[in-house]
Amino acid sequence: MTTPDLTVTVGGLTLANPVLAASGTFGYGLDLDDLCPPERLGGIVTKGLSPEPRAGAPMPRIAETACGMLNAIGLENIGVEAFCREKLPVLRERGVTVIVNVFGASSGQYRDVIERCEAAGGIAGYELNVSCPNVSSGGMEFGHDPALLEELTRLCRDATVKPLWVKLSPNAPDLIATAQAAAAGGADALSLINTLRGMAIDPYRRRPELARTFGGLSGPAVMPVALRMVYEVHRALPGVPLVGLGGIETGLDAVRFMLAGASAVQVGTATFRRPDAMLRIIEELEAYCRETKTSRVASLTGALEEI
Amino acid sequence: MGRRNVSARLAGRIDLTADTFSLRLQLDEPVDRPVPGQFVMIRPAGGSQPFWRRAFSVAGFGTDGDGGWLDLMIKIAGPGTRAWHELPTGAAVEVLGPLGSGFPVEAVHGRLALVAGGIGLPPLLYAIGELERRGVAWDLYLGAPAAPALVGADICAERAKAGRGRLIIATDDGSRGERGVVTEVLERHIEAGERVDALWSCGPMPMLAALAAVAERTNVEAYVALEERMACGLGVCLGCIVPAAGGGHLRVCREGPVVPASRIDWSRM
Repeated sequence: MTTPDLTVTVGGLTLANPVLAASGTFGYGLDLDDLCPPERLGGIVTKGLSPEPRAGAPMPRIAETACGMLNAIGLENIGVEAFCREKLPVLRERGVTVIVNVFGASSGQYRDVIERCEAAGGIAGYELNVSCPNVSSGGMEFGHDPALLEELTRLCRDATVKPLWVKLSPNAPDLIATAQAAAAGGADALSLINTLRGMAIDPYRRRPELARTFGGLSGPAVMPVALRMVYEVHRALPGVPLVGLGGIETGLDAVRFMLAGASAVQVGTATFRRPDAMLRIIEELEAYCRETKTSRVASLTGALEEI
Repeated sequence: MGRRNVSARLAGRIDLTADTFSLRLQLDEPVDRPVPGQFVMIRPAGGSQPFWRRAFSVAGFGTDGDGGWLDLMIKIAGPGTRAWHELPTGAAVEVLGPLGSGFPVEAVHGRLALVAGGIGLPPLLYAIGELERRGVAWDLYLGAPAAPALVGADICAERAKAGRGRLIIATDDGSRGERGVVTEVLERHIEAGERVDALWSCGPMPMLAALAAVAERTNVEAYVALEERMACGLGVCLGCIVPAAGGGHLRVCREGPVVPASRIDWSRM
């Protein structure tokens, strides 16, 4: 069999392979360059960028859980200006497909980040972070209110012709309603899922393990929930491209998300455990295609057989 | 080479105290010679638990056999560290490293004071080898609450006898060596006129804070090796920050674990 075709298209954006680095787990694209060169990935999603730098949450920020972890980093980032000035030129030169994860405390701030990036150029697309469980304003409140989300998406839609993704919250009261709202606002694709709100408790100190009490759960522990949500949104909105994430550690995990309806996948927490995890996932995905005589990986999207 | 992820085998374990032990990992492939203070992230190969790798400071390094070997010292603090104690000889281990910053071995001169508390000895024990190689004289202040909790005192005594060093033991209860908290014992020696051109230290945060204060009072340059909970060890999870002097923070895994004590804002710790 000839080499499987790993290219995929997500809402008008063509990627060399379906594996992207998830926001907040790969720095600004070059931090793990020596262990996982970003140009070998389908793309990278940057750490969430706000108009101004953010210091983030107090310590402790992370906790280990069964088959996963909690984080409450609080969207610490260097700010869009420093990103465009210091990181983007190198990423552009290296030919990395860069999706900027956008965060704001108000809808105007989301638009500010996009406008600053548009002025810089060289960005493949945007992912709106409306689902971070670890910040006090902005973020999750947009992701939980369909009307607000549609308005925010439309505002950002007007700021760019580039692919616009909206990263959905698994914590929203009505997943399908928020997915519909983002699509109605003009999103080209939806990423799901962000982390699940959770907590961990130290029994001896009798305190929450995280300074912010709650954090976002990630890792293999969340994968069944993520698969169900990708499946449900795909069934409800079959015309809307999806980017699946939540606990992917192997090529077969990536296949599972694609069968459920994802056009591409993101890998996050696995990189913490093994910095070259994404390179292995790409290899395993290719091996799966050979093994199952799948000539185009894109044909897996939504190819789940119903029982 | 820089930092690498390599496979290794557990070559042996030595129990040091009731709750501390050392492990030797025989590497299948070479890694860069760690600078004292640098660390590795390890996990048993193939297993799904513990979820994160664990960070351990390098306590010894050699280049003989396949990819060379690494010594680590571990204190049993929970199920994860207990699992390392139970791991059978020959078990496969993944090793990522060397990571982070080390002590400024290139810049040492005069007489160096090394100050270890609790399980803070490993990077300093490894540093002793480098100092001996460079002909630098050292005093090791080794502290613990009481004699049974002293980690590696015999190894350090041997090193001192064989080289250019001196071992000063401090126990809070006076059950061995000088009575007092190790940083107080250090300050007494400095006040008594002993020469200390620089301080390198590793231990619990309160001890390091006390050491930073001693360094400031006695006007001696101090470097501290920090420890924090980390998920990645690579600078991307942002889970291991400490407050920096002048605002902002440092990542223990990247800007650290070894930093000048003056770069930390101890009041916000």
